[in-house]
This record gives sequence, structure tokens and C-alpha cells, in this order.
Amino acid sequence: MTETLCALLTQTWFAADMPEDICERLSAIAEVKEYPAGAAVVSEGTACRELGVILHGRIALRLALPGVGEQTILTIDDGDLFGWSALLPESIATSTGVTLVPTTALVFDRDPLMALLAEDPEIASAIYPRVLVAVTRRLQATRTQLLDLYRAGHEPW
Amino acid sequence: MTATSRFLPRADLDRFFAALAADGRRVIGPTVVDGSIVHEELGSFAELPTGWTADTAPGSYRLRATGLARDFDYNVGVTSWKRFTHPPVIQLTRGRRAGGQVVVESVQAEPPRLAFVGVRACELAALRIQDRAMRAGPLGDADHAARGDAALVVAVECASAASTCFCTSMGTGPEVDGGADIVLSELDEGFIVRTGTDAGAAVVDRLKLRSAEPLESARAAEQVAAVRDAIGDPIPAAGLPARLRAALDHPRWDEVAERCLACANCTLVCPTCFCTSVSVASDLDGVEGTTERTWDSCFSLGFGRVAGDSNFRPKVRDRYRQWLTHKFSTWWDQFGSSGCVGCGRCIAWCPVGIDVREELLAIAPLGAHEGPIPWPLSPAEGRAPASPASIAAATHVTATVHNVDFETADTATLQLATDDSALLAAQPGQFVMVELPGFAIPPISISRIRPDGLDLTIRSVGPATAALTTLTGGAQVSLRGPLGRGWPIEAAFGRDVVIVAGGIGLAPLRPLIEAIVADRPRFGAVRLYLGARTPRDRLFVAEMNALAGRTDLEVAEIVDRAGPTWLGRVGIVTQLFDHAPWDGSLATAFMCGPERMMQAAATTLNRLGVARRDLWLTLERNMACGVGTCGHCQLGPFFVCRDGPVFSQAELGTAFGREGL
Repeated sequence: MTETLCALLTQTWFAADMPEDICERLSAIAEVKEYPAGAAVVSEGTACRELGVILHGRIALRLALPGVGEQTILTIDDGDLFGWSALLPESIATSTGVTLVPTTALVFDRDPLMALLAEDPEIASAIYPRVLVAVTRRLQATRTQLLDLYRAGHEPW
Repeated sequence: MTATSRFLPRADLDRFFAALAADGRRVIGPTVVDGSIVHEELGSFAELPTGWTADTAPGSYRLRATGLARDFDYNVGVTSWKRFTHPPVIQLTRGRRAGGQVVVESVQAEPPRLAFVGVRACELAALRIQDRAMRAGPLGDADHAARGDAALVVAVECASAASTCFCTSMGTGPEVDGGADIVLSELDEGFIVRTGTDAGAAVVDRLKLRSAEPLESARAAEQVAAVRDAIGDPIPAAGLPARLRAALDHPRWDEVAERCLACANCTLVCPTCFCTSVSVASDLDGVEGTTERTWDSCFSLGFGRVAGDSNFRPKVRDRYRQWLTHKFSTWWDQFGSSGCVGCGRCIAWCPVGIDVREELLAIAPLGAHEGPIPWPLSPAEGRAPASPASIAAATHVTATVHNVDFETADTATLQLATDDSALLAAQPGQFVMVELPGFAIPPISISRIRPDGLDLTIRSVGPATAALTTLTGGAQVSLRGPLGRGWPIEAAFGRDVVIVAGGIGLAPLRPLIEAIVADRPRFGAVRLYLGARTPRDRLFVAEMNALAGRTDLEVAEIVDRAGPTWLGRVGIVTQLFDHAPWDGSLATAFMCGPERMMQAAATTLNRLGVARRDLWLTLERNMACGVGTCGHCQLGPFFVCRDGPVFSQAELGTAFGREGL
């Protein structure tokens, strides 16, 4: 089963170039979860107990705005991470993740994952850069929305 | 032309003026007005600035009596001759819009038959330089050409040097080597007269002058040689274009910007600056409209302003750098010479006394470390072979609205019917200037090329585009074009294709997509990545959905923001391909969208292996004339309207996405 999980993981960009032994050690503490469309995989402001890698599917990361409702700030697809707040000391989710289509993910429970990262620097050095990619994507999306690049401004004509 | 020099006694100067008048010409020459020497129409030789010269220095100009009887003992007048070849204001068009019918006509004024008397060597060079600039491009400026062709040029070699002169460094003087119809060299007792053209000879022959004595000619030669020695060589011009473009980040730009008032005096007195703007006027009932072209300046705050309140050169630093690097560096790329002739007017008439010579020596001294240059020196790397399109830039073609499709709440596609062969031969990526009399004239990308007309997809963001997007079937518009360089589709033959569109940037890509689909076997894998602000702002939704349903194309889209009912992707457009498995080295990429989006997309595409020479993008700048003569849309060595709007990433060098250019 462990080999199968690793094989699934390496089919995504997240682990495409990950050394096999690291992939296997990681996969040993993971489980595959299936979510139907519309499932909340993380909830803003609540404890984030799981870090997930999407194997197949799509999740919308949303923020609730009073008077406006929920706004999707980013969607994530195959190979993308969700629940990265689980790696932070406070472990409080910064957005709500809702599956837009039936989604399969490889999920790591926070406690064994944190223990593994603490005791195995090789795994930590493989995981954290990939987490940074995920966070960078969030940042880029936020910047783009702040700049509102596509807006129609006042033109001379 | 006379082979030998002749001599015109000072007492016979009135005969010379009479000969010019007999040639049917009004004489424009130097005269003293309000404490300065300017070029005005002269009734007689007695109005020349006899006995006056001007002492000039940075920020200073003072007339001084010489006590001599010489008529041309100054160097250059306050204003240059461009006032007469490139007037400050001319009418361009008149149009009429009534009952939906539109007619726009060019206004061609009859050029006056003038004689320019007192043109210095540097100013002769300026006339030639400006002539090249205004005649460049697919059409050139007909008014400028007509005025220049109608003028007789009487040059006068300098007999003294002002402290602001540096023609020697620019290679334009002080000797007059050609380009004039008649050349005068002033001595105390009269003038050595040479002729350079048949027109000049015809005037001089009427005077029946004796030949100049060798001693007289020798004195004239000594006089101008002394001027050369007095000026020296204040600016080392060799290698200056490369040194300047290697110094775009020099701290001196900030320092000079603190002194510069951005008043535009330097560009207005400059004999070669040619930038203009077009103003539009309408009668009260909106039926008649006219357009006028007026001098403008790259120092004007709004000169680089484009849609969305964006301004590509918002800081004085940006605008001073644009002016100086254009004059001394990128002008070479555009017109094969320096844009400066060393007349020194910009030094004298700068209210804070900025001396261009001092700035050049500080920013780009000889032996300065040459860093990477943002634009390759000509010929630009990766530049596509020039393939002049069938351009009818001065022809205003009336087209009729056949149908209007609203793509989004603020964007409509006008289906225009025309039988104009030039418009029907438009290439994907080209644009047209669209005019409704009385409204500003926007450049609009062609979003479809049909056998019987064109589609224009227009977003309503101002009065003109609001008027255009509310037209209905049967209404008319005036078109000028097609203009610019389109997408090099042939560059993608036999290769994979990646197309990245952001917002209304899909409009100019649409004819490219249609051309590729129509000729599908000639291309490898074709991938379309589409970004939009919100789901409601997506363009051509049905068409893109139909393409997504094909098995021989990959279409992915993403929006910047969305509510909970949107099940598609949300994020920036690069998210669609930043982990793509395909090999970018096999692909030719085309993209259009906000420049910031294209920067991010280009970085990602390069990382995937797409070569800079294989990545084509279309730039937005303030394209006002469409033919490279108004100056608004300059980016380094390029006029975006004429040399683009489609460029390869390699051509743009590091100028792409760089702030302040």
C-alpha cells in the first residue's frame, strides 16, 4: 500500500522529482481520502489538523466577507497543497477549502507529520520548499487581486 | 549649380532679397524681437539683426551689440526652423456625423513657398534629421514633407561660436557641407555665395555676381575654422549610444530630476524634437468634428499615459531619461543618426540651466563601465523580417456597423462591413484607429478578419469608446489602418503553440487563434490559457467553449476572483501552466494582457523552456498617430505602433516590464 501511495504522489508535480526513499517515508504516514464535491476540507479560523496533497480534483480556497458572502481567492488542483497551516505552531486555517469536484487527496495527520519533520532533516528539506511554493501561489494570487490587473480604468478615449 | 563661389557685396543684399521674392517666395529670416533673435517673415533685409549677437550660457540668453555691421553675427535663433516645416498647430482632419453616417477627410494645406535665410550648419542637419523622422514609417507625414519640399534653404556659415555650441561633437558643423540651396559666408564687406542646388543657382544667377576672389574665400574658410577651434570637442560622441543605454540606472538621473522642472522648454526649442498630440473639437450639436495636431513633449506628464490611468513615465527622472537616451542613443536605431545637432538651445533656454553636455559627461563618460544594455544595438536580436503590411495610414475609410454583440457588461464587438482592400488584407495582431467625429480616436485591435469586414472588440471606458459601444446596426465609423506589425504566425509552423490571454487581451489574439484553427495541421500541440477578472468578464465565451470541446486543442481558463457559484479555476493565469509537463523548447508562444501579467507569464514560459525569440507579445502604449510620427508610444528604440505592437521577448531585451520606460 505504501508503494502505491508513493506512486500516486509522484504522479503529481508536488513529488515528481522527490527522491523515492523520502517519498516512501512520507507516504508511510499518509492516507488517501476521497471527498465529494462541496466538502469542506479545512475551515477558516479553526484548527487545521491535516496537510493534504491533491491527487485528483479541485478545491476552492475561500474567505467570507460580511455583506458580500464567500469569495474564492484561489483554486488549487492536482499536486497542490491544502492545510499548510497545520505546519504552523498555531495551526489555525487561514481560509476555507471547499471541493468543487469530487476530489482525492493524500492526507497527513499533523502530529506524526510534525514528528517526522522534526526528526528527519531530509524529509523536512523536501517538504518545506514545496510548502513555500504553495504559500507563494497564495501570495501571487493575493497580489494579483490587489492590483486588479484586468480592471477597466478611465482611458483618454 | 555654380561651380565657383561668387561674391555678394553687402550693399547688394536688397537685390538678393528681391531675387528671392522674384522666385515667388516669402522670406523667413532672423530679426530682433523683444530682446531676442527669432525667425520671422522679413519685409526687407533691413530687418536683419545687424550689429547684434547673443551671449548664451546655461539658463541665460542676452543680446549684445557688437559694434559691427554684420547681419548674421549670432549663432542660432531662439526658435528653430521646425516652426515652418513642422508647425506648432495644423489641422489634420474634418469629419461629419449625421444620421449615423460618417465621413472623415484629411486636410491638406497648400504649403507656403518660403525661403529660409540664415540657416546654420547645425540647423541644416536638424532639418535633415527631422525630415528623416517625419518621412519614416509606412506613410510619413505628408504635411511636413510638402512644407520641406516647398522651402528654399539659404544657409549661413557661423563666423563665431557661442559658449553653448557643440556642433563639432555632433558632427553637424560649423562648416556647411551640403543640404542647402544657397550657402553664404559673411565677411565684413559682403558674402561669399555658393549654391548647392539648381533652385539655388536659379536665384543666384539672377544677381549676376562676380566670382569670389581666392583671398575672400580663404578668409571665409579661416573664419569657420576658427569657430571649430573655439568650440573644441566638448562631448566624446564615439560610443555614446551604447554608453548611455548601459547607464539607465545611473544615480545622476535622480539628481538631474531634482533640478529639472519638466517644463518642456528644451524640447520646444529643440530643432529635431517632433512629438505631437492630437486634439479633437466638435461643434455644439456633435455633427461636425475636427482634429488638430499640436506640438507636445515627452516631458509632459501625460505623454506616456495609457488606459487604466497607467503612466509609463510618471516621474521627471523617467522623462528626462527618455529624452536624453532618445536624443543620443535610440535615435540611432530609429533614424540612423543622433537626434542632437549641438545647437545648444536646450542649454540656454533651460530655466534652471541644466547643461546637456555636463549631464552626458556625468552619466556616460568615456571609458565608463559598460553594463548590460536593455536593448540590443541594431539590428535587434530575434527581430522578425520586416514584412510591410498594406497600409493606408492617411486614408480614412468609412465602415458600416453590421451587428453589435455585447461580450460583457462593458465590452462590445462591432461587426463592421467594408470593401476596402487594405482593411480586408489586415493581419492578426494589427490594429486600426477608430474615429467618430468629435471624439478622441482610440487604437483598437482587430478581433476578427472576415471576407467582408472586420470585428472590433471595444471596452467602454471613456466618451469615445462609450459612443462606439452604443452604436447600432447601420451606423458608420471611420477607420484608419490596418496598422502595426501583427503576430508572426509563420514562426509557429511545425511547432507547438502556446497562447496566453488576459482580459481584453484575448481580442487581438482571436484572429490568430482562428488562423491557427483554420490551418490546424501546420501546427503541433495547441494550448490556450485564458485569464479574466471575473467569470462575467470572460470574452467570446461560446467560441472558447467550442474550442475547448475540440480534441485537437487544449483550453484552460482562470479568473482573478469569483463567487461560490464558479466551479472553474481562480488565481493568476500562470497557475494554468506553471507545472505543465510539456517541453517549452518546442513551442512558439503568443500572449496579450496586462504587462504585469505578461511578465509573470513570460518568466514561467521561459522556465518551461520557451525561448525568448519564440515568445511573442503585444504591448500597450499610448498609440496616438499609429505610424510612428507622434512619439507617444516610444519604448527604447521602438515606436510600439509602428515597430509593434507585437514584439518578441528577445527584441525587447530587458525593457519589457521595466518601470519608467
